Amino acid sequence: MNLQSLDPRVNRLNIPASTMTPMAPKSVLDQFATYEAFIQKKEGAPFTFAGAVHAPNPDVAFLFAKEQYSRRSSCTGIWIVQTAHVKLTPYASDEASIYDSFDIDKPEGVTRPLEPYEVFHQQKRGKAHTHVGRVGATSYEEAYELAKNKFSHLTPVVNVWIIKSKNILQSAEEDKDMWVTTAEKKYREAGAYRVMERIKRFKKEQQRRRSKI
Amino acid sequence: MYGGGNIFEATVFDDLQAEDPVKLAEFEARIARGEKIEPDDWMPNLYRVQLIRMIEQHAHSEIIGALPEGSWITRAPGFRRKLALMAKVQDEVGHAQLLYSAAETLGKSREQMLTDLINGKSKYSNVFNYPTYTWADACTISWLIDAGAIVNQVANSKGSYGPYCRALERICTEEAFHLKYGHDSMVYLATGTEVQRKMAQEAINRWWGPIMSFFGPPDNVSVHTETLMRWKVKIASNDECRQQFLDMYVPKIWELGLTIPDDKLRKDEATGKWVYTEPDWEEFTRVINGDGPCNAERLAVRRRAEERGAWVRQALLNPKARYVRPLA
Repeated sequence: MNLQSLDPRVNRLNIPASTMTPMAPKSVLDQFATYEAFIQKKEGAPFTFAGAVHAPNPDVAFLFAKEQYSRRSSCTGIWIVQTAHVKLTPYASDEASIYDSFDIDKPEGVTRPLEPYEVFHQQKRGKAHTHVGRVGATSYEEAYELAKNKFSHLTPVVNVWIIKSKNILQSAEEDKDMWVTTAEKKYREAGAYRVMERIKRFKKEQQRRRSKI
Repeated sequence: MYGGGNIFEATVFDDLQAEDPVKLAEFEARIARGEKIEPDDWMPNLYRVQLIRMIEQHAHSEIIGALPEGSWITRAPGFRRKLALMAKVQDEVGHAQLLYSAAETLGKSREQMLTDLINGKSKYSNVFNYPTYTWADACTISWLIDAGAIVNQVANSKGSYGPYCRALERICTEEAFHLKYGHDSMVYLATGTEVQRKMAQEAINRWWGPIMSFFGPPDNVSVHTETLMRWKVKIASNDECRQQFLDMYVPKIWELGLTIPDDKLRKDEATGKWVYTEPDWEEFTRVINGDGPCNAERLAVRRRAEERGAWVRQALLNPKARYVRPLA
């Protein structure tokens, strides 16, 4: 006996009606690693943290993020970074600056190449991190030091994220046309649904009928 | 948005005596000041466990709720309604993604949550264990279940956990369309032909019980509940949410000339509170524990999708990848 549903598509799945044995636990990577997505809402606006996606690689993460975070609002660019590539400070209290209370020692005796790092600030707990700028450094620790000098006037800062620029997959300038979507999607806006007139007409009609009786 | 009333169960972590008193005091002071808690902050086990339960239930409700609504896309009357319903269902599945990520920041992997859903270990909103017989049932879900969920979720968005608040902010902006779309569909039926009106009325009759129990049983006031309220995990009681829903939507149902199948339902002018027949909590408990008209179907369909996609996930798996919980 198969499971019977009101939905013909479910009936076509031919699922047995008997109780199923529990599904075996899956590995934590069954649905891939996590990536963090940043969205630019309009030209010139800072990239702002939107949320995470699960994906097998940065390209797929980009496509998922585009679907998930730019589908319903304006967007002019997306940045994608694997979660493991984000270095972050502890969280300070609101109104305070983490730059005042958190220090890290620069690694000594190690020479690494000078590279660009992107710096993100969270201004208030509960809010999203936004991109504040870029520094050139030889380590995350040095990048944090430089960020402190360069951006600590932007208060308050409750949390800082630092990401190597090369680890960020950035949407390209020449692919801009990907952000132009079909203009006519009014059906998914609240403003497209106006029923007051219809309700008023209905009420009037009801009253008219009642007064006739 | 589909998240229903939350049922918080006492857990073995309930014992606050085991927590570091200094850290606990700092944590409580932060919440009392109105600051949000972020994933890397110290938090009591009870806070973590209850938030995972709540956000996970909310996420499951989004994907399971998309099943009855999704089945109406091909049968929705007209091209515009098909487009709108498709957009709405896509939104709901997106909400589940946002919520799973928020729950993951607390340390439970998405895979574990999906396994727990399929194995019946985690719950989802009880209303989705009821069948949709006609298009009017789909309209009732889009309008009134979403309306109920919005009441709940607006309350939850004032909660103390940062990642959940961020997800809810995004979710709530999309919800405005769902509610208007649902209302619009119902208004068309209610102001239409006799057959359409009858269809609308029958759907309201079928769904009133599940809608009233959607907000969950009255909270028994315990030390546990008080703690969760103080920590801003639970913001409004189930009864408060139910009252707010009745206040906002009973007049909107009545103005369409539809009736509500509860003889006792009225607003007590003296107290300002709605009086109603208590929902059948025995049925609620029975259905939430698996014995409802559609429980088996919902989980079987979800499981079938999970199993059918396994080879794709396997094929794309990067052997070097390692799992890191989302940051925020």
